[in-house]
Amino acid sequence: MHPMERRNGFNRRQFLLRSGGAAVGLTSLESILAACSNSTTTATSTGSNGEKLGPGGYPLARPGGPSVTFRRWEDPIESNLQPETGGDFTIYNYPNYLDTAVMKEFGKKYNVNVQLTPFQDINSGIAQLANGAAGTPDVMEMTPDNVARVVTAKLIKPINLDYVPNLKKNVWPSLVSPFYDVGSRYTVPYTTYATGILWRNDHVTQDIPSMKQPLDIFWEAEAYTGKTALLSEPRETIAMALLRRGITDINTEDPKLINRAVNDLDQLNHICNIKVGDTQFQTIPEGTTYLNQAWSGDWLAGYIFYLPKGTPSTVMSYWKAPKGHVPVQNDCWSICSTTKKPVLAHLWLNFILDNGIAKQNFLDFNGYQPPLEELDPTTLISDGTFPENAQPAILTKDDFGPASLQEMTLTTAGQALWQNGYSKFTAGG
Amino acid sequence: MYPRWLWPGVALPGVVWLILLFLIPFYAVIGVAFGTVNPLLQTPVPAWNPLDWNLGWMSQTLNNLAPGGIYWGAVTRTVEYVIISLALCLLIGYPVAYYIARHAGRTKNLLLILLIIPFWISYLMRMLAWVNLLDPSGYATRFMSFIGFSNLAVHLGLITSDTNWLGGASVTVILALVYGYIPYLILPLYAALDRIDKSHLEASRDLGASPWKTFLHVTLPLSKTGILGGCVLIALPMFGDYYTPNMVSSAPSTSMIGNQIDLYFHGGPQPTIGAAITVVLSAFLVILMGYYMWAIHRATKEAAAS
Amino acid sequence: MTTATAAAAKPEFTLWQRLSGWVMNPWGRPRFLPLITWLYMAWSIIPVLIAIQFSFNDSRSRTVWAGFSTRWYWGDPNDSVWHNTQLRDALYQSLKLAAADVVVAVPLGVLLALGLARWRGHGSGPSNFLMLFPLVTPEIVMGVSLFLVFTHIFTFIHPSTTAQILGHITFSVSFVVVIVRGRLFSIGRQYEEAAADLGATPAQALRLVLFPLLVPAIVASAAITFAISIDDFVISQYLSCGASCTTVPIFIYSSTRAAPLPNTNAIASIMVVFTLVAVGLGYLFYRIFTRGESREGGMTGEMAGFEL
Repeated sequence: MHPMERRNGFNRRQFLLRSGGAAVGLTSLESILAACSNSTTTATSTGSNGEKLGPGGYPLARPGGPSVTFRRWEDPIESNLQPETGGDFTIYNYPNYLDTAVMKEFGKKYNVNVQLTPFQDINSGIAQLANGAAGTPDVMEMTPDNVARVVTAKLIKPINLDYVPNLKKNVWPSLVSPFYDVGSRYTVPYTTYATGILWRNDHVTQDIPSMKQPLDIFWEAEAYTGKTALLSEPRETIAMALLRRGITDINTEDPKLINRAVNDLDQLNHICNIKVGDTQFQTIPEGTTYLNQAWSGDWLAGYIFYLPKGTPSTVMSYWKAPKGHVPVQNDCWSICSTTKKPVLAHLWLNFILDNGIAKQNFLDFNGYQPPLEELDPTTLISDGTFPENAQPAILTKDDFGPASLQEMTLTTAGQALWQNGYSKFTAGG
Repeated sequence: MYPRWLWPGVALPGVVWLILLFLIPFYAVIGVAFGTVNPLLQTPVPAWNPLDWNLGWMSQTLNNLAPGGIYWGAVTRTVEYVIISLALCLLIGYPVAYYIARHAGRTKNLLLILLIIPFWISYLMRMLAWVNLLDPSGYATRFMSFIGFSNLAVHLGLITSDTNWLGGASVTVILALVYGYIPYLILPLYAALDRIDKSHLEASRDLGASPWKTFLHVTLPLSKTGILGGCVLIALPMFGDYYTPNMVSSAPSTSMIGNQIDLYFHGGPQPTIGAAITVVLSAFLVILMGYYMWAIHRATKEAAAS
Repeated sequence: MTTATAAAAKPEFTLWQRLSGWVMNPWGRPRFLPLITWLYMAWSIIPVLIAIQFSFNDSRSRTVWAGFSTRWYWGDPNDSVWHNTQLRDALYQSLKLAAADVVVAVPLGVLLALGLARWRGHGSGPSNFLMLFPLVTPEIVMGVSLFLVFTHIFTFIHPSTTAQILGHITFSVSFVVVIVRGRLFSIGRQYEEAAADLGATPAQALRLVLFPLLVPAIVASAAITFAISIDDFVISQYLSCGASCTTVPIFIYSSTRAAPLPNTNAIASIMVVFTLVAVGLGYLFYRIFTRGESREGGMTGEMAGFEL
């Protein structure tokens, strides 16, 4: 029992059910956990081999480890239904992550008013969806490490892939049925990216790529006080602090390691008055920050859309660690349970995976590579789409696979550890 | 002349509304602060019956708010910002209110209009104006670099480099707070000063006091309730301000206690901690408010007695 | 005057006395006070004027002037206020909330003011205290409490436009009460008593004597309620339901934290115009209705009469 929860409405029947359920097996455990949603315990459930289980009793998906097949908590909608038209279609996503022209096109095609409800980061997005502050969106941008949580909480609906033929047609085979959602029952992929460092080489004097541990640059950034920032994401910031110390398990739940990482991050408040935010795609090209933790798409987005006239793209540099030391990820789309237009939501998933639309979203605005077979990342520089120095920001299929690092599902207790650590860091000290 | 039930009856709808939508929500905060958390999605589970209250989150929060806890820095910083901002507001606002009330003559109406205009301009727009001006390429930054003020500020350690006003500097947050709240101070001050009977001042002069003494011993004491009222009017909301630091400096190092509350309610891990901090902040402000009421009560009694 | 007498008439004051005499005298013209006052006015208003200027900027920058253009108002096909549905919806939402707020809060507040000013019973003290509290409660406390009440107690009204309207009314009522009550105190009971002496029933006294006298205060409080509601940020944000509930202040706030464009300046300027028009109309009606009264301070006196 969590020490913070001394007095609770714990009753004997729940206790017996839980201890009996642990002996029975996965399926009954999942239903018991769902029934005890008011439970105050955050004890981690364990599977039959003693390995830790994530939310909903599912194993913890890892690139090289167990794959997860989610149970459908309801039947998907029937095939061949007509799309709903008229009214609003709400997309719940990061701001500046989806081209407004693409949204408008979808709206025109299906005669709906497409609007965007932004969230600041994925954790607050999920929390606000759960407590009603996000309203009733139709589709939501999702990250693989959160899928187990939102599926167990029934915040997203199962997909009927008959409406999404573009998934098998256009997407990388490895992501058609990814390890974190076998059969693409709840998600389809959106973009791929890595996490590294984005900086202005005309202001930052250090040669970051040739440093022994380039991530140390943040701890040596006194000269750029007030001009540095980290991503406002609990997983990304703490993972960076772990990787800097050579710990490659970025899904660790060891409280000692996490605390040490949080203390390291806290030092940054004093060293360079570090900010947190997700606007580096604009602040670096405009020069209001010089050194940011950033996703690879931010370099490309800065180049495409935010670089002011007269500023050459050579001033922006990007670095990411070699494979096995760099967090890579692919974002997804999911259909919210609150949707009133499920057919249209399915059609959105198909729309955004269309080759032309996905490329338009990428090249005209977004900067984040969609995992399309037709889009060969190796030609992006040779055919002149991007300049030479964009190379570190471009990903290929090789960057993904069992040996890559991906922030993935944590147990409920582990999730709380990471989030509390991040709150401590951003409380300022 | 009117039936006795008329006035309570007329006041009833308003009172019921305030009870439903002002008092009961406070109890909701208490219920959540003393409740528990659903571990799957970190959503709060309130406890309505005082017997079911879980004191763990509240005691953890109190520990964290105490010296040495993780919110202590935010607490001291908030108090520091409010006191300094209040002082600056008074320093700038009092002379302005005094001039308009006593000496403006023909320009009084124009000045009053100019004084009131900021009320009608959205607080956020006024902050937006400063965010644009203090941008490294903004007019204010360029002007201050031009006159050398930026170098002075760097020298004093107020900002880190001469164009870095928005990079997490306390001085920017304090000046933004002053800019934002000073109109709410000047107007009550003006009203209080305007009400002072000129005959008191004439009497003081007739009795031989110098202008400065007249100000010190007559004007200032008579405007005391106005000063107190104005200070309360801006200090209390300032304690809960979180959007000002977020707009002019998004660094954790300038976060105020309001930021901590906001963090937990807009997607942070434990809304119960946010509710607990809200309860503590409200209790603190009730004490301040109580002191103000008592001071007013005493001042009215003095005025009635004299 | 000859130089001799001029020299003889030279006063023997110290520098400090001469300075203070020059600076502070209640009947003369002090110097540094007007200086401070005009500097303050400039400091107070010019930044906003510059922000409005940049809403007409011909580039994406909010800080570097690139020429005059109305692209952010209606020119740009994707991001101007006229073409960007997100901005237009925010504008409509703000106006909708403000209108609903005025329609409900003003009558409620007027009744409450009347009741509190004249009530002599036991409940009047606590009710008065209850009414004053929203004026000094920090908005975040109100926002958090309203959010929690709508997600845990009154869950049939989850965060939504309805919730936002209810929240706005709650904090507006106190402003209306304070303004109307000030007017009530200055009117006093004399007119109603005179009417009663002349044979009016209580209902007639209320309808024909009291309410017409209250109209200036009602108009002033309506204008103020409109302005407060349009500018409200915290409560609207906490009770927001996503894209359909976004108001202009919420949009401004989130745009300064993301990637702002001059269309933020444009929509903020539009809001300023709306507010000033509302206040101007209120002032106009106020003047019409108080023709013939010599009221100290006018509408500013109404608003400055915060009897806390």
